[in-house]
Amino acid sequence: MRSLLATVLAAYLIAAIHSILAFINKRRSVQRVAEWATIAGFILHTITLAVDWMIDGHYPLFFLRETLSFLAWALVAVYALVLYRYRAQAVGAFTMPLISVLLFIALLVNPGPTDAPEAFSATRLFPIHTTLVIFAYAAFFIVFMASVMYLLQERNLKLKTFSAIFHRLPPLTTINELATSSAVVGLTLLTLGIATGMIWSWNRYGRMWHNDPKEIFAALTWLVYLVLIIYRSTASWRGRRAAWLGVLGFALVLCTLFGARLLGGYHTFGLLLGF
Amino acid sequence: MSIILIGVNHKTAPVEIRERLAFSDAACADGLRRLVDGEVVREGLIVSTCNRVEILSATAAEQVESGAGRLAQFLDAAANLPAGFLSNHLYRHTDEEAVRHLFRVASSLDSMVVGEPQVLGQVRRAYSVAVEAGTAGRILNRLVHHTFRVAKRVRNETGIAANAVSISYMAVELGKKIFDSLKGCTVLLIGAGEMAELSARHLVNAGASRVLIANRTEETARQIAAEFGAVTVPFEQLDQGLAEADVVICSTGAPTYVLTEAQARRALGRRRNRPTCFIDISVPRNIDPAVGKVPNVFLFDIDDLESVITSNIREREREAERAELIVRSEVMQFQQSLRLMDVGPTIGALREMFQEVARAEMARQRKRLGVLTKEQEAAIEALLVSTVNKISHPILNQMRRFYETSEPAASAPQAEDSFDLDE
Repeated sequence: MRSLLATVLAAYLIAAIHSILAFINKRRSVQRVAEWATIAGFILHTITLAVDWMIDGHYPLFFLRETLSFLAWALVAVYALVLYRYRAQAVGAFTMPLISVLLFIALLVNPGPTDAPEAFSATRLFPIHTTLVIFAYAAFFIVFMASVMYLLQERNLKLKTFSAIFHRLPPLTTINELATSSAVVGLTLLTLGIATGMIWSWNRYGRMWHNDPKEIFAALTWLVYLVLIIYRSTASWRGRRAAWLGVLGFALVLCTLFGARLLGGYHTFGLLLGF
Repeated sequence: MSIILIGVNHKTAPVEIRERLAFSDAACADGLRRLVDGEVVREGLIVSTCNRVEILSATAAEQVESGAGRLAQFLDAAANLPAGFLSNHLYRHTDEEAVRHLFRVASSLDSMVVGEPQVLGQVRRAYSVAVEAGTAGRILNRLVHHTFRVAKRVRNETGIAANAVSISYMAVELGKKIFDSLKGCTVLLIGAGEMAELSARHLVNAGASRVLIANRTEETARQIAAEFGAVTVPFEQLDQGLAEADVVICSTGAPTYVLTEAQARRALGRRRNRPTCFIDISVPRNIDPAVGKVPNVFLFDIDDLESVITSNIREREREAERAELIVRSEVMQFQQSLRLMDVGPTIGALREMFQEVARAEMARQRKRLGVLTKEQEAAIEALLVSTVNKISHPILNQMRRFYETSEPAASAPQAEDSFDLDE
């Protein structure tokens, strides 16, 4: 399904370029092109994943290529939601390029064997676990984006630098709300993801916790976002510090997602990115 | 027909001259009726604003010079100035240049502050006065409607009017960068300067729901409060007002700081650190600059506002370049539609003439055809007419294309002459 995926990449690239152009010169017509390209790419991407699933016979979220592609798909879905709910177009200028890069790498890497080990494809719990976690990461990415935008905009307002970026970024309270609600969604998904992983592991190995790096990082990530949410929800508005937590949390997400593979451990299965 | 535009604006004439020229609506209608004589000046319209007085008119192509002279005389007379007095200040545009000028004026590219929205309304009013006076005809109707379309396009497709360029509107603009909507926001006015009042008015128009006013003299506060449906806050209870306010506008005449850092910190604590926008438009400053260091407080003094305005004006000027491109392409389109308008009647007349020839031939030869039924007679006539139509169609089309790409005034009369259409 390489050619189909390449078409998806083309659509995302168009969306990315137009999002950046729209961010720079604020043209509504350009923004519309970006949004339509995103929608077209997303539909095609969904079809690609479904076809992969049918042909390969396992849930398309196991090998490295699949994982990258699935992650990109989840990010587009989450970005589309953000766009729909907050009209925060600026997010696209940062998200779409990253999504394109993810998909580009997915196209480059070895597709791997077509059959996943029996143990993973047989149970329903495993795909649910991985899907939940991927979507949680996508939500945390939005938290990260919003936090960075918040810090930039807050700095602009405090230092009174009214540059082009100042005119393009959404208002502070919008970004803040976006960060908070994305964090809540992300944490919920991550909690469910970790829980399903534990149950799966219990069923298969008779133990819930393996003490491998990925699990430890995941637990740390979970804690940071919990702290972030509690910190934000207790009484007062704490824009700046909460935003820094959003950035820190995402650094941990990256460690969990990629770092754990380098450190080895139970979550690395052959060619996997690792779950 | 030719379009002529003459006038003065803020770049060519000082206010002393502009104010002598300014027309009221009634004077406009009156003047137009005197000006448009149906011979030299066929149509007319007067745009009179504080920055410009312009007369737009349509004359026959060969009477451009006398028409322009008449317009200039008219302006001299209207301002009670000796003839020729204005000539140093007047600009004069004809045809394409006049169209371009009008498009630029209505799109606010020729304004003192690029992108200010009032001028379009002023052109609109000038047009309705001309319509009522009966001096807007075929050409001006078309031109003015096209102008409205251009102005709308420029507004929609460029950011020429996107960013505020007045101090009083800055509060709204900055507020919108902090709060996703000003709906439901509370505004606190400290001091009751005119500028603060104007800012508050803008904020209310943008959706702010409550206005609090604190002023040293209660009486003034109450007066303004009545205008806004606002609530007065005694100066001693300023802290309470601060805790509630999302946007604070300060403009007292006080020589020292009215608001201190400690006060701001207390207020922020009481409003649970929800962000607050402080705008200090007083000189000397009334809000301690240290207030800006309090987390979630955003403080802007008059210089900050000026610098945003400068950056906004620069942004508008960048957008104006894009607007000029739109104007250029629209001018071309309008000129083309004008040419078609000129050539349309000519082509219609030609077609009529050809058909007339066919019918005349038919009448001449009728006797030779002998006895025919009504249907047969009609069929023969239809046959002749449609043959003539079919033969002339490509020629007429060729003509139409030719006119689209050449000078309107020059070519249409020629065609009329060469076919003796006037007879």
